[in-house]
Amino acid sequence: MKLIQTYETGAGSSPWRLRKFVADYGVYIALAILLLAGALLTPKLYAVDTIAVVMRQASQLGIVAIGQTLILLVAGLDLSVSGVFIMTSVVMAEVGNGRDEMVIPAIATALALGGIVGLGNGWLVTKRRVPPFVATLGMLVLVKGATQAYTRGVPGGFVPEILGIVNRSWSFLSIPLILWLGLSAIFIFVLRGTAYGRRVYAVGSNIEAARLSGIPVDAIRISIYVLGSLFAVISGIVLTGYVLYVDRFIGSGLDLDSIAAAVVGGTAFTGGRGGLLGTIAGVLIIQILSTMVVLLGLDVEVQFIIKGLVILGAVTLYSVANADS
Amino acid sequence: MQTERSGIGAPDAAFPNMSEYILEMLNISKSFAGVEALKDVTLRCKPGLVYGLVGENGAGKSTLMKILAGAYRADAGEIVFKGQRRDQATTADIINSGISIIYQELALVPQMSVADNIFLGREPRHPLGILNLKQLYTRAGDLLARLGITLDLRLPVSELTIAQQQLVEIAKALSQNADLIVMDEPSAILAGDELDQLFSIIANLIEQGVTIIYISHRLEEVFRIADEVTVLKDGEVVAARPLAALDRPTLVELMVGRSLDEIFPQTQRERGELLLVAENIATDTILQDVSLEVYAGEILGIAGMVGSGRTELARALFGADALTSGHIKRIGKDDAAWSSPAQAIRAGLALVPEDRKRHGLFTALSVRINLTLPILSRLTRLGIVRRKAEERVVQAARERLSIVMSAPDQETQFLSGGNQQKVVLAKWLETAPDIIILDEPTRGVDVGAKFEIYKLMRQLNDRGIAIIMISSELPEIIGMSDRILVMNDGRVAGELTREEAGEARIIEMATRSERAHKPA
Repeated sequence: MKLIQTYETGAGSSPWRLRKFVADYGVYIALAILLLAGALLTPKLYAVDTIAVVMRQASQLGIVAIGQTLILLVAGLDLSVSGVFIMTSVVMAEVGNGRDEMVIPAIATALALGGIVGLGNGWLVTKRRVPPFVATLGMLVLVKGATQAYTRGVPGGFVPEILGIVNRSWSFLSIPLILWLGLSAIFIFVLRGTAYGRRVYAVGSNIEAARLSGIPVDAIRISIYVLGSLFAVISGIVLTGYVLYVDRFIGSGLDLDSIAAAVVGGTAFTGGRGGLLGTIAGVLIIQILSTMVVLLGLDVEVQFIIKGLVILGAVTLYSVANADS
Repeated sequence: MQTERSGIGAPDAAFPNMSEYILEMLNISKSFAGVEALKDVTLRCKPGLVYGLVGENGAGKSTLMKILAGAYRADAGEIVFKGQRRDQATTADIINSGISIIYQELALVPQMSVADNIFLGREPRHPLGILNLKQLYTRAGDLLARLGITLDLRLPVSELTIAQQQLVEIAKALSQNADLIVMDEPSAILAGDELDQLFSIIANLIEQGVTIIYISHRLEEVFRIADEVTVLKDGEVVAARPLAALDRPTLVELMVGRSLDEIFPQTQRERGELLLVAENIATDTILQDVSLEVYAGEILGIAGMVGSGRTELARALFGADALTSGHIKRIGKDDAAWSSPAQAIRAGLALVPEDRKRHGLFTALSVRINLTLPILSRLTRLGIVRRKAEERVVQAARERLSIVMSAPDQETQFLSGGNQQKVVLAKWLETAPDIIILDEPTRGVDVGAKFEIYKLMRQLNDRGIAIIMISSELPEIIGMSDRILVMNDGRVAGELTREEAGEARIIEMATRSERAHKPA
C-alpha cells in the first residue's frame, strides 16, 4: 500500500545497530582484551592454582551479583546484602552450633530470615514508596543492629565443620563455582525465556506502562527483592563455609562490588536493560583485575584505583550507547 | 564536511538583496546511515513574519530544525542567520545568536519559580556572583508584560498549567533576545482558548519584529496565523508559497496527495448489544459522577477541553485509578467488574494511552517483547515462552499494521513515532478486546497515518468491537464518533448524536458555566 510507505522513512537506519553492539557485546570484548593482557603481563594468571582462587572469589561475588542484577533490572538497588551476610553467618553458628546434622535447619533458617529481609525491602519500596537506596540502607543498619543485639557482640555456637565442603575443589572446579554458574544459568533462562522474566524487564523499563499492561508490578518487584536477599544468603553461606567462623566483617565490599559487576556487565541503573551473562563477565573482569594487580606486585590501593576507573569507564560507555535517539 | 556553495545557482532573481532575509537555510541535505532525511532543502525567512512549516511525520521537519539548532550537522548546504554563516555553530552559539526553539517537551525545571526558569543559567548577578533577585524579578516581569500576560513570578512552574508553562518558555526565548523563535507543534498540548492566547502572543511578537517558524500538523492553525507556508514531503520542499496562494485542499494534497473527503471512513453497521455500563463513577481526581453506556460496534467519542477529566475517565474505566464511588460493569461475560488493569484486560478492555512514551511503550525493550506482554499467559507453557508461537504473533502484527522495523528485536525507541503507535495498538489488538479505549489516538501523527488509524478503527467496529475515543480534535470527534459525550469540569456536560454534533455546539457544552455547579 502506497499510503503507508509515504510517511515511513528510515526505520532502522539510525545507528542503533552500532550502539546495540557496544551495549550488548562491549563487556565481552573488554573481558577478552583483559585475558589477553593477562597472558602477556601476568602469565601466572593462567596457573591452575590462580584460576582456582579467581574462580572461588568470583563465585562469592557472582552469587550476590545475580540478585543485585535482578534488583537493578527493576530499577532498584540492594545495599542490605552485607547485613544479610553477617546475619547468615551468625545463624549458621547459632543454629548449626557445630553439629553437622544441624546444617540443613541452619540453612533453612538463614533463607527464611533472608526472605523476610527481602520482603521488608520490597514492601518499603513498593507499598511505602521509599527510594530503594534509602530503604535498603535502612534495612542494612536494621539487620546489622538486630544481629549484634541478638549476639550481644559475641556470637555463640560454632559453624558446622561440614560447611567446609565449599572449599573442596577439583582442579579449578569448586562447589561455589558450580553454584554460581548453575544459578546464573537458571536465571538467565528465567529472564529470557519465561513470562516472569519478561515482566521483570517490563517493570524495570516502564513501570506505569507495565501496570497498564496488566502486570502485577508490586508483586514482581517484591519477589525480586526477596530473590536478591536469598542470593545474599547463599553467598553468605559460601563465605561462612570458607572461613568456618563468624566474621563481623564477612563479605565486606561485596555489596558495592556486586553493584559494580552488574553495571560493568551492562545492566542499567535505570532498570529494564542488561542481564546476567553480562554480569558474569563483569564479575570476572573485576576479579581478574584485582588478581592481576596482586600478581604484578602493585599496592592494594592500585586495585581500587583500577576498579574505580573500570566502573567509570563502563558506565560512560553505556550511557553513550544507550542514549535515547 | 562539505559546506561550499558550489552546488547553488545564482541567487533568486526575485530577491536580489540577500539581507532582506533574517534566516536562510540553503540547499540543506542530511542523510542518516544512507537514508536521505533532507534533500536540497531551502528555507528563507524575512523578519517579522510567521512561517508555517508543515509535512507528515518523517517528512524532515524536525531534522531541519535540529540542524538549525546546531544539534545535527548538515551534510551539505549552508545556514545564514542575520548575515552570518551559522552552519558550524554549536547549540550555545545558536542560542546566543538569537534563535530559540521551543520543543513540544518543555525544558523547564518544575521545582523552580517562573522567574528562575526564565533566567536559568543566565541569572542577573551582583559582582562576586551573588544573585540579583531584584533585577531577576523586574526583568522577568518586563518580559511577561511584553507578552501581555500575567503570572505569579514566584510560583513554581510545576503549579502552572501546561499552557502557562509554554508561555514561560516563550518568555525565556525572549530573554535570550531571540529574533527567531521556532515552535515545534506548540498546539499539541493546548486546547481552545489557550490556543487563542498563544496566537495573540505570536501576533504581539511579530509586531515587535520577531520571526516565527511554526511547525504544526493542524492545518487550521497554519491558515490562521502563517504568512508563508513551506511544505516538506519525504525530505524535499514541495512548495513554499504565501498563504494567500493556498487553500486547504491544495495544502493537504501537497502534503499527502489525497483529498480531504477520504479522511473519515464511515460504517453502515448498526450498533450492537450493550457491552459496558458505568454508573455515577468518580475517582480521586477531577472525575465526578460520570455515567455512560458502551455498545458493540460503535465509536463513542469523548470531547472536552484539556483538563476536563477525559483521560481520568479513561483511567477509571480501565481500573487504573480506584473508584471512590459508583460502579462499572461489563454486560455479558459474567457481568464482570474490575478494580485493576489486569482484571479490566480479562474483562475484554484495552487502553491505548495518550502519552505513548510514558504510559504505552517500553522504549528500551524490543518490538517483540512490547507486542506480546499482555498476552504472555497465552504464549507460555509452564511459564516458559513458546518462541515459535510468539514469532507468529509478531509476524502477523507486523504484516497487519505494516509496522516498519529492521528486526523484531529492535528496541522500540529506535522506531518512528507512527510505528511506535502501531506497536502499542498492535499490542492491545492481540488481547482480542471487546472495548478499546483510545486516548488521543492521532496525536502527533501525520495525516497519512491518521487515515490508517481511522480505517483500522472502522475495521474493528465491523468486527463488533466498541471504541471509546478521546480526542481534542473536533473534526475527528465529529467525523468518527457515532455518539459524543462532552466532558466539562470532570462531569458529562451532555451527549450528542452524530447528527446533532457541530463544532460550535460541542465547544459551547465543553465550556459552559464552568465550575458553576461545583460546591465551594
